[in-house]
Amino acid sequence: MSVRAKLNVVAHPLALVLLLALTACVANPAGGGIDMGALFNTLKTVKQAVRPADLQEEEQIGYATAATLLGAARPINNPAIQRYVNRVGLWVALQSGRPDLPWHFAVVNSNSIDAFAVPGGYVFITRGLLLHMRSEAELAGALGHEISHVVLKQQLKALQHAAQLDLLGQAVQYELQQQNRSTELFNRVTNATRVLYSRGLDKQDEFAADRMGVVLAARAGYDPYGLVAVLQTLESMDPKSGSMQLLLATHPAPAARIALLSVEMHAGHMNRYGHQAEGRRRYLQMMKQLVQSPGT
Amino acid sequence: MRRWGLILLILLVTLGVHAASQSSAQTIMDTPLNNAPYSDAGTIVTLPASTSITILSRQGGWYHVRLDSGQDGWLRMTSIRLNSSSTSGSTWGLGWVFQLFESGRSGATGTTATTGVRGLNTGNIANAKPDAQAVNRLRAWTATPEEARAFAQQLGLKAQPIPYLPEMRGNQP
Repeated sequence: MSVRAKLNVVAHPLALVLLLALTACVANPAGGGIDMGALFNTLKTVKQAVRPADLQEEEQIGYATAATLLGAARPINNPAIQRYVNRVGLWVALQSGRPDLPWHFAVVNSNSIDAFAVPGGYVFITRGLLLHMRSEAELAGALGHEISHVVLKQQLKALQHAAQLDLLGQAVQYELQQQNRSTELFNRVTNATRVLYSRGLDKQDEFAADRMGVVLAARAGYDPYGLVAVLQTLESMDPKSGSMQLLLATHPAPAARIALLSVEMHAGHMNRYGHQAEGRRRYLQMMKQLVQSPGT
Repeated sequence: MRRWGLILLILLVTLGVHAASQSSAQTIMDTPLNNAPYSDAGTIVTLPASTSITILSRQGGWYHVRLDSGQDGWLRMTSIRLNSSSTSGSTWGLGWVFQLFESGRSGATGTTATTGVRGLNTGNIANAKPDAQAVNRLRAWTATPEEARAFAQQLGLKAQPIPYLPEMRGNQP
């Protein structure tokens, strides 16, 4: 439930339904009870009125979370690579359950191996991870995993809980309603982000994002085994390396992810899509460009 | 000095990317070497665990591999483990490019410096100072759905409905 709906009686969905249902009765000239058509329309109106408040809260949380993560690793200054990742990422996101979010993808200036999903449609990937992949299908798989986190609202729920957003005061409710940025909310989410993104989500959330991510890549026309290939690369890397520290501290072991995902992909007959596009040439061309202009 | 390093790097990348498609790996179980990338294809030989192989390419869930004897065939993707890129200098991925990049930047002499300056660790996240302007600047690179569709078409990608996978929570290791 949205913050706004909790404290503001007028915006409370149930209150609004009752109020408008009453209006519908009064407005029915025959006086024969409730006009079901009018009530149905009213319910539709309520649904539309409530949903933007949730989205608005998610947008504000996402903005604060994105700002915090980009404070730790800035986007690289290489417009060609940034646009490339945005095109591939949006194409995959369009196959998800939330195609209409304002999706923003960014490559961040770190040679560590990692990627991050942020509420509201932000996805960040390190330059280090990009340079360890071999094809656009692998990129689509990695982005599909992050997009799935956003679609499943896993970070959103964790941040809402950790930042105790349901206890925000009236002043913040007002700011949210006025579509202003709330400093109070920003600060709370910043603190919650520092904790969540250095500890990671629940293991089951990561497995769920793998499971959905491969399907999004396949729907987009890519070979869905790209994500498995990325996980095999991670598995082969020295776990004591500094570039793996954050990823391994926040995710289940790559071997465990591969084992579960391969069973699930087999059960879901994903081998049917194994012949789909790898996009190797286009990807390698972009990586040549990235190495020539790393954008630090 | 640094400029020559960069020129050398670009040269190596340009020459090397096409050759960068092989990597060493090992089988992690007894596994059939098939003559095609299908489970019902013919078996050439059954390889014991820990057999060294060279990966030539991947097709879906299968690797095209070559044995030390020169025999080639297809192995199920999950029956192997890639050798550590840090010890074997793997060229299957672009990790070697990244390592050159790192050592070039830090002035090291060939030894890798992956724990270098732009690493990202739990401490960086735990102490991050928010940068709201960086978020605002992301808009410059955002794609429109039309751009994304056109870009997908260049690669011949077609969207299609595929159901989500069943959850196998119980089988989890």
